[in-house]
Amino acid sequence: MLVYLGRRLNLLFFTLLILCIASYTLAFLFPGDPLTNLSGNPISSEDQAQQLRMMYALDDGYIAGFWQYLKLTLSGEWGLSLTSQNPIFADICQFLPASLELSLYAMAVSLLVGIPLGIAAGLNHRRYTDMSILSVSLVGFSMPVFWLALLLILIFSLQWGGLPMSGRVSLIYEIPQYSGFMLVDILQADIDNKKQVLMDALHHLILPTLSLSIVTCSLVVRLTRRSVINVMASDYIKAAYAKGLSRTQVFWHHGMKNALLPIMPQLAMQFTVLLTNAMIVEVIFSWPGIGEWMMQAIYQRDFPAIRGGMLAVSALVVIVTICVDLLIRTIYPLSKKQLHAQV
Amino acid sequence: MPKSSFYDEEFYPSPVRQTWNEFQRNHIALAGLWCLGFFVLLVLLGPWFLPFGPLAQNTEAILLPPAWDANGDVSHLFGTDGIGRDLLARVVHGCQITFGASFFLVLLAMLVGCSIGAYAGMSRGLRASIINHLLDAIMAIPTLLLAIIIVAILGTGLMNSMWAITLALIPQFIHHTRDMVGREYRKEYVTAARLDGASDARIFFHSILPNMIEMLVVQATMALSVAILDISALGFLNLGAQSPSPELGAMLSDALETAYVAPWSISLPGAAIFLMVLSINLVGDGLRTALKNRVNQ
Repeated sequence: MLVYLGRRLNLLFFTLLILCIASYTLAFLFPGDPLTNLSGNPISSEDQAQQLRMMYALDDGYIAGFWQYLKLTLSGEWGLSLTSQNPIFADICQFLPASLELSLYAMAVSLLVGIPLGIAAGLNHRRYTDMSILSVSLVGFSMPVFWLALLLILIFSLQWGGLPMSGRVSLIYEIPQYSGFMLVDILQADIDNKKQVLMDALHHLILPTLSLSIVTCSLVVRLTRRSVINVMASDYIKAAYAKGLSRTQVFWHHGMKNALLPIMPQLAMQFTVLLTNAMIVEVIFSWPGIGEWMMQAIYQRDFPAIRGGMLAVSALVVIVTICVDLLIRTIYPLSKKQLHAQV
Repeated sequence: MPKSSFYDEEFYPSPVRQTWNEFQRNHIALAGLWCLGFFVLLVLLGPWFLPFGPLAQNTEAILLPPAWDANGDVSHLFGTDGIGRDLLARVVHGCQITFGASFFLVLLAMLVGCSIGAYAGMSRGLRASIINHLLDAIMAIPTLLLAIIIVAILGTGLMNSMWAITLALIPQFIHHTRDMVGREYRKEYVTAARLDGASDARIFFHSILPNMIEMLVVQATMALSVAILDISALGFLNLGAQSPSPELGAMLSDALETAYVAPWSISLPGAAIFLMVLSINLVGDGLRTALKNRVNQ
């Protein structure tokens, strides 16, 4: 286990290092002055340029410059955004929780709906239940997420008019930013119409969560179904039936755990897919998350912000994947056979 | 000579034939194949049968509903968009761009991915370890995110987004080829070939590759559906194909302005993407099941 932990941490360390190198190199590859791309300050005077060159150690060669950049990055100095002149790190800290919140709820919904459906399909393999669940999941799996979001807006916001189509909460309410997670913030906030605000925020959540979770949910259904079918066809299940156990007993005692544990890493991997889809959905629903922010940065060619956003999102994805992997490792004995680090 | 035709008495179908027989038994997959065939024909022949070009504007008929609507006109079967362009022509040309671009980029990604994957699968020691480590790190990042990052670096445009998605798809092919080659490499028929003195390249092309082709085709269909979704997503985000181009995703983002008065300009291009991806997924799924059934026989 220790060897494995070491390998994982090694992988984590090197991946993050590569990401940092990539993001540092990008400052030189992007069009424009590398100094501006690094710091986000439009250079106005020779004096200031000299100061910034000192700060980023640009004159001491690539390696020293990178070392300096690494130190600055770790201490939270990510430069300024070219367009808004806000510190990028503060911006990311403000926008990332919104994306995380959306993805977490969508993940929760798709797991809660997907796993039972997948189990139902897997247990009734080759019957009508299985066929219908499988076909519905195939349809959901083939939906382009942006089209789905647009259709939902067309139907529920424009035709029916019951649900809001943009933002996290109605503009008439002012919620002090505390953790960045809207629902937590509302519960924390000291306002009198808490219940009303909460309902409003939940209404805003429905459509984005729905459009995200339909795609993920169908993936979860397919994974679960396949795994349940494989497990239920194995010999120890036959042995359990031969012992005289009933279907329910066999499934709950022998099938369930063995079917769900091996697919845990794949299920957790869906979180990263979700985060990407969330970036698209955010643009459609004007959800003030990291995706919206990064798209704006790309449109306006705001290179420091693109760099920072890229670094933050990919680091998050890598960290989540490796943490999940370690967690699975501790609870799933069979995976211990495989020593080599693999994401 | 009664014994000369001993082996001809029974018909042994070839592996491809067996797979096709298995595939045919799945009617839904067969329907998917027909649908995919329709799209391929549409992409190849469609533009020649259209009365309008994708960019031609008919200022007489702006925001005309589709022909099945009461206010529709049969000369514009799918209606027109905000500046009077025929939607049918745009959807057909859009399919051509989206499907064609995805097809070629998957082909390219497969070629590059397979060569690197075969190399990684057959090499041992530190070199293999480094390649595998790097790959696994990249595999963890979803393709669309990778594509967005690459587009952010390269700049927007259809060509750039194609490069980005190709680059983003390659790791998956490398991963699958590497695993497959690694698995096959330990089998006895490969050892036999090695004992005969075959070189690594010969073993790969003559022994392992024929066993891998079908897996690669299944992998390619999956990659094709991902590529179509990604290319249209980038188009929708204005990072891929730019506005007047009839790429399906870019068309959707164009139609946003008139979404309320002309919902068909959103639903029809989206439905084209959806049907394309659905048919590809059906074929891919059917193929995978057919292969598994054949091997299990």
